[in-house]
Amino acid sequence: MPPLPLKDIIISARQESHRMRHYYLGVEHLLIALLDVKGGIAAQLVQEQGLTPEYVIDAIRRKIGKGGKHRLWAGVPNTPRTDIILGIANDLAINNGRTQIEENDLLIALLEEEDNMAVRVLKALGLDIDLMLEHARSLKLPLTHSTQPFVQVDFGLDFGESDLSKEDLFLLRRMFHGYGSIRIERRLMGGYADSRLLVVTPVNVDKREDAPVVVKIGPTHEILDEVQRYESFVKGKLPPLTTRLEDRPTAPDSSDLAGIKYTLVGVPDQTPQDLRTVAKEWGGERVGAWLKKQLFPVFGRMWWRQNRPYRFETWREYDWLLPPLFTIEMIESAPLPPNAHVLKYPIRRARLKDVEYGDTVIVEHFTVHKIDREKRIMQLTAGGNTDSAQAYKIEVRGVNFDEVMYYRGEVVELIVGTVWKTRDEQLKQIVRGLSPDFDIEAAMLPFPDAIERLPNPLKIYNDVLDDYINGTLSTIHGDLHLGNIIPGPNENPALIDFEHTRDGHTLFDWATLEISLLNDLISPTIAGESWDKARTITRHLLHLQEVNDKTTDNLYLADTLAAIRSIREIVRECLYHEEHWGEYFISLLFYALRAMRWESLSLGNRRLMFWVAALAAHELRAQKYSSDGTPSPDQTDLHSKLSDSEN
Amino acid sequence: MTQKIKVVIMSGAEDGSSHIFNSENGDGIFGENKWTISIGRKDDNDLCLRNDTFVSRQHANLHWMEGRWWLEDCNSTNGSFIENEESFFEDRRVKGIIPVKTGQLLRVGRTWLRLEEAE
Repeated sequence: MPPLPLKDIIISARQESHRMRHYYLGVEHLLIALLDVKGGIAAQLVQEQGLTPEYVIDAIRRKIGKGGKHRLWAGVPNTPRTDIILGIANDLAINNGRTQIEENDLLIALLEEEDNMAVRVLKALGLDIDLMLEHARSLKLPLTHSTQPFVQVDFGLDFGESDLSKEDLFLLRRMFHGYGSIRIERRLMGGYADSRLLVVTPVNVDKREDAPVVVKIGPTHEILDEVQRYESFVKGKLPPLTTRLEDRPTAPDSSDLAGIKYTLVGVPDQTPQDLRTVAKEWGGERVGAWLKKQLFPVFGRMWWRQNRPYRFETWREYDWLLPPLFTIEMIESAPLPPNAHVLKYPIRRARLKDVEYGDTVIVEHFTVHKIDREKRIMQLTAGGNTDSAQAYKIEVRGVNFDEVMYYRGEVVELIVGTVWKTRDEQLKQIVRGLSPDFDIEAAMLPFPDAIERLPNPLKIYNDVLDDYINGTLSTIHGDLHLGNIIPGPNENPALIDFEHTRDGHTLFDWATLEISLLNDLISPTIAGESWDKARTITRHLLHLQEVNDKTTDNLYLADTLAAIRSIREIVRECLYHEEHWGEYFISLLFYALRAMRWESLSLGNRRLMFWVAALAAHELRAQKYSSDGTPSPDQTDLHSKLSDSEN
Repeated sequence: MTQKIKVVIMSGAEDGSSHIFNSENGDGIFGENKWTISIGRKDDNDLCLRNDTFVSRQHANLHWMEGRWWLEDCNSTNGSFIENEESFFEDRRVKGIIPVKTGQLLRVGRTWLRLEEAE
């Protein structure tokens, strides 16, 4: 493809400037125009280093931000820096015996100047500017893999039936380009709904096998975010013998998928297995002991044992686990409708209780978190740009992306919409879908125990979101279920899948793991999907911490309850106030409410999740009020929250 | 004592232009133990950013005091920010007044600025 002349790049750059409501021609518009050229030099150089042009373009837009609504001048003047860069590009063209500036002249000039904000973004994304310059100058471009590289794909005995798509296989071949073949050994159960985790053994052309790696394949933006997250939170905080991210990501422009590889310290002739698989052989007691003696101490020093005091309102860490606050249908914003509910940070939750179906809401200064152009849906959050824990999700439907450009990370000044569904209604709908044998509107639910009734979690979750928690802040995995934990050689622990890794509430990870153990180990030990079975397991959990617990004669159940006990022992070490378990049950309440919505779980498991949420709500109440009815320290927190909000 | 500072505009319509402020030329205002450069959209500011509608009329001040530079946000609507070393895309909002260094990037409204020693 011949290099593009300057005039074509300028046209595209001006269009970008209009879309961003800037109305000047800046360096950022020139770089975005260069990256937007399909198969262009800039796009190839970015892809060579594992990023996609779209990802980089969104990052530049995020850093610069959109302009205001009002245009202050006519025309699209060059900025002083643009003039300087065009001057450098012109010199480069002349030195190369050309009369016109071309694509690579402009790119080199822009990278050489390097002080501009656009190149600062490239550097922040981890791109090697010197390498880009070297290749742009020599026009030594990476191979354009227009055809599928030939790498034979075999399947190991443990893999079972392949349900990998053609796109997955194409990506795998690209990731292992240069090898003779690969053998997909097994699928690991980690990852979120759209991603796949595979153990892959690369085989050289001379049939020599390299050590197996864990490959994660998922939507491009999410994989590239995970790489950024790994660089920020994980890289420097790993024990010596564990998984590490290998190479740069592979993100071909012909696919919406990208892939990364995690190296493993393996044992010859053994392919790594996740704890979900290993647990079936080990049993609950051994799993619990391993978590306590291996995982917690080995990762704990740099992760969960950081013990930085952290006082926060529950919603900051846990709101994102709930369904969207509202789903709204976007409507014309001018003129602004009278009597509309205004949603802006800080959210006044008390005012949200009146919002119902059909009401108009004005959403101000929320951040674009996700975009689905095909479905015309956008997800907004009140959190910052890069937080994984994004509070107050709002799903906006009917977005006309042809008319207005939105990009991930953009802080949207104002969006108006009609409420289509509230969070409360969505949660009730989910529970109705489980065919409850109780009244979901009741504040207290009948329970077959001495306690007789447990609080309805649907009735209390909203108030709990406003509670203050005295806890600790640590680096947390963010998705610590059994599928993301790998017992390696000598039972040395390894973690994979760092998409949600962040600095957050320490106990989040342990509530995640308890829910994972319940769904993977305990629930299958009691057959049947009835509500009574779910209540039976919940009853055992309720008495879990009682001394000399003899609540079950079911040996399988007793064994798996032992694993949960180990989790609770780890939690005890992490509690901010000794024996103040309210801090943990808040985590468990919200994680159980999240798991209740997972359609991948059996009906019985989802029913169990509802009752675990009720159990957590009960324990929370028990913590808040001592037997004589006086407020405990947690309740004092509630009062201090009220006085804080008044201030 | 003579004070000088160069402010380079790093984004927006004036990206790449720079402004030198010199106390000897009467730039800025001398107050008690400090020299102040005002930033805002109104013409009477020392640094006038009229092309950024996110900049308030009187947005921020740069102070030279106690042998260093300080950035003060004047309760602006859209805020003043500094770069966040931990997270490139999460700029840190300035509350009140904070010390800043030459070479550091600052943002008022949507306009990025950088301080440099003036020759």
